[in-house]
Amino acid sequence: MSVVELVRLALSRIGSSRLRAALTMLGVIIGVASVVALVAVGQGATSGITARLEGLGTNLLTVTPGSSTEGFTRRAAGSATTLTVDDAKAISALDGIAAVEPEISTQQLVQAGTLNTTTNIVGTTADFMPVRAYTIWQGSFLTDASVNAGLRVAVLGSTTADDLGLDASSIGSQISIGGLPFQVAGILQAKGSAGPFSQDDQVLIPLATAQHYFVQGESVRSIGVSVADADQMDLAKAEIQSALEQRHGIAADGTDDFTIQDQAQLLSTVSAVTTTLTILLAGIASISLVVGGIGIMNIMLVSVRERTREIGIRKAIGARGRDVMAQFLIEALTLSLLGGLVGIVVGVAVSALIGALAGWGFVFNPITPFVAIVFSLAVGVIFGVWPARQAARLDPIVALRYE
Amino acid sequence: MSEPIVALDGVWRVYDMGRLQVVALRDIDLRVAPGEFVAVVGPSGSGKSTLMHIVGCLDRPTSGEYRLASTPVGTLDDDGLARFRSRTIGFVFQSYNLLARTTALDNVAAPLLYQGVSRRERLARARASLERLGLGDRLDHTPAELSGGQQQRVAIARALVTDPALILADEPTGNLASDQGAEVLALFKELHQAGRTIVLITHDHDVAAAADRQVHLRDGGIVDRPLAA
Ligand SMILES: Nc1ncnc2c1ncn2[C@@H]1O[C@H](COP(=O)(O)OP(=O)(O)O)[C@@H](O)[C@H]1O
Ligand SMILES: [Mg+2]
Repeated sequence: MSVVELVRLALSRIGSSRLRAALTMLGVIIGVASVVALVAVGQGATSGITARLEGLGTNLLTVTPGSSTEGFTRRAAGSATTLTVDDAKAISALDGIAAVEPEISTQQLVQAGTLNTTTNIVGTTADFMPVRAYTIWQGSFLTDASVNAGLRVAVLGSTTADDLGLDASSIGSQISIGGLPFQVAGILQAKGSAGPFSQDDQVLIPLATAQHYFVQGESVRSIGVSVADADQMDLAKAEIQSALEQRHGIAADGTDDFTIQDQAQLLSTVSAVTTTLTILLAGIASISLVVGGIGIMNIMLVSVRERTREIGIRKAIGARGRDVMAQFLIEALTLSLLGGLVGIVVGVAVSALIGALAGWGFVFNPITPFVAIVFSLAVGVIFGVWPARQAARLDPIVALRYE
Repeated sequence: MSEPIVALDGVWRVYDMGRLQVVALRDIDLRVAPGEFVAVVGPSGSGKSTLMHIVGCLDRPTSGEYRLASTPVGTLDDDGLARFRSRTIGFVFQSYNLLARTTALDNVAAPLLYQGVSRRERLARARASLERLGLGDRLDHTPAELSGGQQQRVAIARALVTDPALILADEPTGNLASDQGAEVLALFKELHQAGRTIVLITHDHDVAAAADRQVHLRDGGIVDRPLAA
């Protein structure tokens, strides 16, 4: 008997009891859909993090005020006021440091014509652009001259510019920040990472301007440091630490009032964690695939019992044990394969939905459905063989007498 | 004299029930020549079904030799037996034994599936077989949509579709009303006249009378004459 004939038999059987077939397949559908969706969501999250990692700027160290004994967990960002503009200057005087940019920030209402948005206003220097790895899209960035003079000029992130309806023709026009007039000097190239991690929704103004109008005092929110050589990150970190300890009068074994983060390293750790989580979740989801397989086995065993007479008839009219075995096995395989296909469609739909909501878009890896198909076929074989053997072994005489 | 289709020599069938041994067939010698119509008659429990299972290769003798169409059946393994059975014997059962929820056409075509016949040819031969039995207008009916007599005719069409050397019928009229039973019996006579070899099993002497020859079973053995009823 050819496989085509067997599949035809299986399909007509499944077609004659659709509800039962659908319920039987449900386990495999849920199993495959959750594996496909979880893997896609995991990959989406990881690729979001990777994009941010690449957009962070090369060899970046970030110094923030406040103590932290273990990474970022105890950091109270922005609450401490122990870091100053002078600290930034001291860091830039160290060996092996390419560029340094102090940042202060405040939330302000920004208006352009009739449109307005409340966003992050960052006071910084001309080194912001190289340190944070931004490029300019239109106009120009803050210059040393405008920073030193404390001019009321602003460079807008791409999202902020969009929100305010500003485009290439808006360079040189007036906007208002916190009620004060500013001139638009430039608009940044989008970094593209959307969602809660957006680096494109902010307005950059000269440090002195921010200090003068919005945030009084010398303390800064953070200092971005670009290290000249990627191999010297740890050395640079140690140098910065001892320089700041010295400036702040902290003993080498005392508790620092600042934190130095190697953000690239942090994010690669996060990304490794997401990958591990994805594998873990997919593993848990594949348990439901096993449960789905047991569902198929259960139904097939019931089916062998119910169809004992059919098996007897088929044997009497010439079916060999292996023909009966093949019929039941193909039926189990068809059920699991159909379940797998529906599961893939559901899983892809769910992951597209989550991707759209989370902002990393639709991540589709063609390997996943392929693996899902192989898995559901394996489920069909593993859980279909036992009932099929039961069917094949039935004695035709006993089977024909069965009521 | 041509080779017999069925040749049983000293066949025993003993069911081993642990402490107890049930002798269902004892020392059976039976020959059925090509073209013969033989009725096996006996009361309930006399071993008729057991004999049919052995003649039909669904079961094997405990001892003794059985040759079907000159082939010693004892030398075949289970798969070989199934294959040989499907080519050599057409079964007709008391309870029709059609596949439920399957059309008459597909039921009749089913034996050809296991002979590897193509779908097109299967359907053509099944249709021809059903038409010969006057069921040309019932091709798409499932067993539930047919009367008992029609179901038994579908079963006969199925038995004939492989053009078997032997038709083996176990109480084929047992479940039918008398008029439909008479129709089915007339069909067997027609088949016999067309040259088919038939072994018909029954407990009904009137049905047995339709055959050329009657073989009487009693307590698992062949007896010369039935006891007076
Ligand atoms: N599978 C079996 N196991 C044990 N005894 C059996 C079995 N099948 C039939 N028998 C016994 O063999 C004898 C003949 O049975 P059977 O061939 O069915 O008779 P009939 O068809 O003439 O009524 C009976 O005594 C019956 O109880
Ligand atoms: Mg019987």
